[in-house]
Amino acid sequence: MRKYISIFFAALLLSGLPACFYSDSNTYYVEPVPGDPPLVSVTCNLDTLYNPPVNDSLEVSYQVEVEGGEFYYIYADLVHTSVYESDSSSGSFWINSMLADSSGIDTLYLEFYYSSNSNSLADKVSYEALTDTLKYAIDFNLGADL
Amino acid sequence: MRKRISYMIVLAMLLVSAQHSLAQNGGISIAAGAASFRMGDMKYLQEHILSTYPVEGKITSSFPPFTAASFTVFKQLYDHIRVGGRYNYSTTGAKSSYADYSGDIYTEFNAVSHRLGAYLSYLVLGGDRIDLSLNGSLDANYTSMTIQSYYTIFNYSDGLSNKYRSISPSIAVGGELMYKLKKLSLGMEAGYLVDLKGNLKDTSDGDPLLDPKDLDRVLSSDWTGWYLQLKTLIWLDF
Repeated sequence: MRKYISIFFAALLLSGLPACFYSDSNTYYVEPVPGDPPLVSVTCNLDTLYNPPVNDSLEVSYQVEVEGGEFYYIYADLVHTSVYESDSSSGSFWINSMLADSSGIDTLYLEFYYSSNSNSLADKVSYEALTDTLKYAIDFNLGADL
Repeated sequence: MRKRISYMIVLAMLLVSAQHSLAQNGGISIAAGAASFRMGDMKYLQEHILSTYPVEGKITSSFPPFTAASFTVFKQLYDHIRVGGRYNYSTTGAKSSYADYSGDIYTEFNAVSHRLGAYLSYLVLGGDRIDLSLNGSLDANYTSMTIQSYYTIFNYSDGLSNKYRSISPSIAVGGELMYKLKKLSLGMEAGYLVDLKGNLKDTSDGDPLLDPKDLDRVLSSDWTGWYLQLKTLIWLDF
């Protein structure tokens, strides 16, 4: 009988152990209500050019306007090569002919990151973005200087 | 000053214990239950931290009544008076949080009180089976307070954790109603604890925990509140 009483008290003691340490497992979960997405307009000097040639180098200039939101970043990439990055909403950079292995048409990607206006935690700390990507065909002409 | 008072309480408890070591009867008692806690400064700090969130978070708990337990060793000094020493353990906490699909942010407070002091009990009404007595204790109260804030946004997470401590004198006054068996009494105890507040200091560098809106004010722990406990008393021959 004493054995069972001991087991009972031991079990009682063990079951009471969690009460010795305060813990609150509740988390306030929210479904964010998104605002209107920003209106983005981009102008680039390549807009009016058809397959602009890169004989020695090519200047690319851009300007981004984000209405109702915030501009974060621009990345410019050739297929496998990063060409330029900036947090400025307007600027310019050069594409050098040495960036290409061979002559021919290549694609320049301009990726623009701006606020999502989702009102989420990530949006509020500028850690969530919407992206617009523009593509331009450019013509590397490696033999042009010879 | 408060430290001195706390040390004097512990010393007084030891003296009382030594002075009456030749008494005939005594015993131990174990009590466990719940207590409420004022914690005004910590509730204020919790609200302030919540206001710094980049999103609208919510307080899901704020120092609610939680566990309080005690262990007492006593000697029967006279028919109506018991003296001894008592250890009390109390804990509570608080949490504020926010979570959505992109991540979460939360702040947790964990507070633990260890009180050690002198115990005095006076039997008001004693029958064959039922004892009603008033008791009080004068304690040194050591508080350990952990405040941690963490956030996770997508795959990135970061946070910080700080631990604070304080020492304060406290006084508890209560009553107990016990049902006597042979060498065992079962019953309950209720009372009110007045904590004279202890300024919180960082355990790592000793810096005080300052009011973020008034840097001349040090925030303190405050365990003042009611308590209610179930109690078991075992009589022993010392």
